[in-house]
Amino acid sequence: MNGSLSARTPGLLALAAAGAVAGLATGRPELALLAAPFLVFAGAGLMRSGEPHLSAEIELDRTRLLEGEAVTATVRLRNDGTSAVGVALAPARTRQLVLEPSGTVAVRVAPGAEAEVRFLVRPRRWGAHALGPVVVRAGDPLGVTTWEGRVGPRLDLRAFPREQRLRELVAPLRTQPFLGTHVARARGDGIEFADVRPFRVGDRVRQVNWRATARRGALQVTDRHPEHSSDVVLLIDTFEEARDDGGGTLDSAVRAAAALARGHLSRRDRVGVVDFGGTLHWLEPAFGTTQLYRIIDALLASGIAFSYAWRDVDSIPRRVLPSGALVLAITPLLDERSTALVIDLRRRGCDLTVVEVSPLDHVAPGPSAANAVAYRLWRLQREALRARLQALGIGVAVWDDGASLGPALEGVNAFRRSARLALPG
Amino acid sequence: MAAFAVLGALAALVLPNAGPTSELAWLAVGVAALLVAVGIVAASPAPVHAAVAVLGVIFLARHDLRLLLAPLYGAGLLVMEDLAIQTIELRGVERIALDAIGARTAARLTAVAAGAGVSAVAALAVTAAPGRSVALTALGGIAAVAAFAGIAYLARRRYRDPSDGGPTA
Repeated sequence: MNGSLSARTPGLLALAAAGAVAGLATGRPELALLAAPFLVFAGAGLMRSGEPHLSAEIELDRTRLLEGEAVTATVRLRNDGTSAVGVALAPARTRQLVLEPSGTVAVRVAPGAEAEVRFLVRPRRWGAHALGPVVVRAGDPLGVTTWEGRVGPRLDLRAFPREQRLRELVAPLRTQPFLGTHVARARGDGIEFADVRPFRVGDRVRQVNWRATARRGALQVTDRHPEHSSDVVLLIDTFEEARDDGGGTLDSAVRAAAALARGHLSRRDRVGVVDFGGTLHWLEPAFGTTQLYRIIDALLASGIAFSYAWRDVDSIPRRVLPSGALVLAITPLLDERSTALVIDLRRRGCDLTVVEVSPLDHVAPGPSAANAVAYRLWRLQREALRARLQALGIGVAVWDDGASLGPALEGVNAFRRSARLALPG
Repeated sequence: MAAFAVLGALAALVLPNAGPTSELAWLAVGVAALLVAVGIVAASPAPVHAAVAVLGVIFLARHDLRLLLAPLYGAGLLVMEDLAIQTIELRGVERIALDAIGARTAARLTAVAAGAGVSAVAALAVTAAPGRSVALTALGGIAAVAAFAGIAYLARRRYRDPSDGGPTA
């Protein structure tokens, strides 16, 4: 711990010195007598001061929670010294953590004893947050000296995004040859009826459609669509975000990504994530619950990284974007680079849908008439961009965090059906 | 508020007996109150100490019993300074344990009482001594220098820079 004289001590000593000198110089002993208590006070404080021997433990009642929930942090401060110490303490924390009480707490710790202080910790938003170590300021009882330092551990607290339960998901155009829940375009073993055709060598007897055979007078078999899984890649745009006091588009994008990942993984799809922005992070597509936790952990690390670098689709490793994967680009469409990436992906024949996290809730027009006009122009530009993407065959689901994502995805599915999208190859 | 109450009490000790300088004394008390308020608002001890200096100077406006009252007045000044400083120090503290504030107050009152006692002993010595002389002034000077040297020694021992190579506190 770092020790120093407190802010008041130089003043105390200066007053004492001034009184003594003035008393001696003017021959008025009263001035020296007035100064004497200050000198005694400062001397007594210094005599009683000494480095406190403090240690701290921080205990969280749980280390994982959902957005909006709170945990209790118990700080136990132990005094291993030989004299009681008055301590003002507060746990260090990242900016997104709100503590209750928010200020410091003053306690007295007897020698060899512990003091326990409880804080209610509430994350402002999802993410990996850090709590600790405990910042302590101790001093002698007279406040002449202070010792400051950090004691105790640093704990990680993970706040998971609140997810919506999605009934409707974007149906992929192509499926992978693994068992899943999507009706494939191909024919094979499955439940969904596809067609009735004449018997060919190699067809199994159980495929024979006896009713059709009786009607047509020749052996007919039923073709079916198999149920396959698909590859889904969640592309999160972290180039730019719109943010205000209530949150930002990245917060919403992560919530949407978590909901989509859970939805697709529960339908046995392989899901991967690409964090595409100033920095590039990815998680290759995989199945299962473990992948869900990996994805959520990866999402918690998402952040806007400011960069001038122009990135394009070539910077994404090929294995992260498997052929035939459904790419769900979650973006506020604020940065040219992300728009260019979306268009590039579509031009390369990628099955692509844009989930547009609306920035409108976070952007208000300025006070002047010119600002209002600029705001309207900006909104028109966004509509024109949306129309341009749709003309390229990209479904755009416009979503704001207050609403359910389901209807937006339903609209995209309707668009994809009506647009009769086709994939090359 | 308590700091202002003590300030008022100190002013009451001086102002009725200030004679022709009472207007100046009133003005000085007003300035001191203002300085204390500024110190508390700005969370800085410097204006508070300036207020203490001003109040110390106006003590000289009193005509009689100055030597008798000086220890009490000095202790009052220290209490006022301490209350103002505590107000500044505890501003960021949201919760304070009762035993913490109790131990702190007791220690400070004890130190103030000790200071007043030392001052009273010095006042007795001054009263008993014959008139001003070079020897007496030199003795007072030596006592003051010795006290400050002792404090400097204590401070140096407590906060010696570890890079000096000596033992650390």
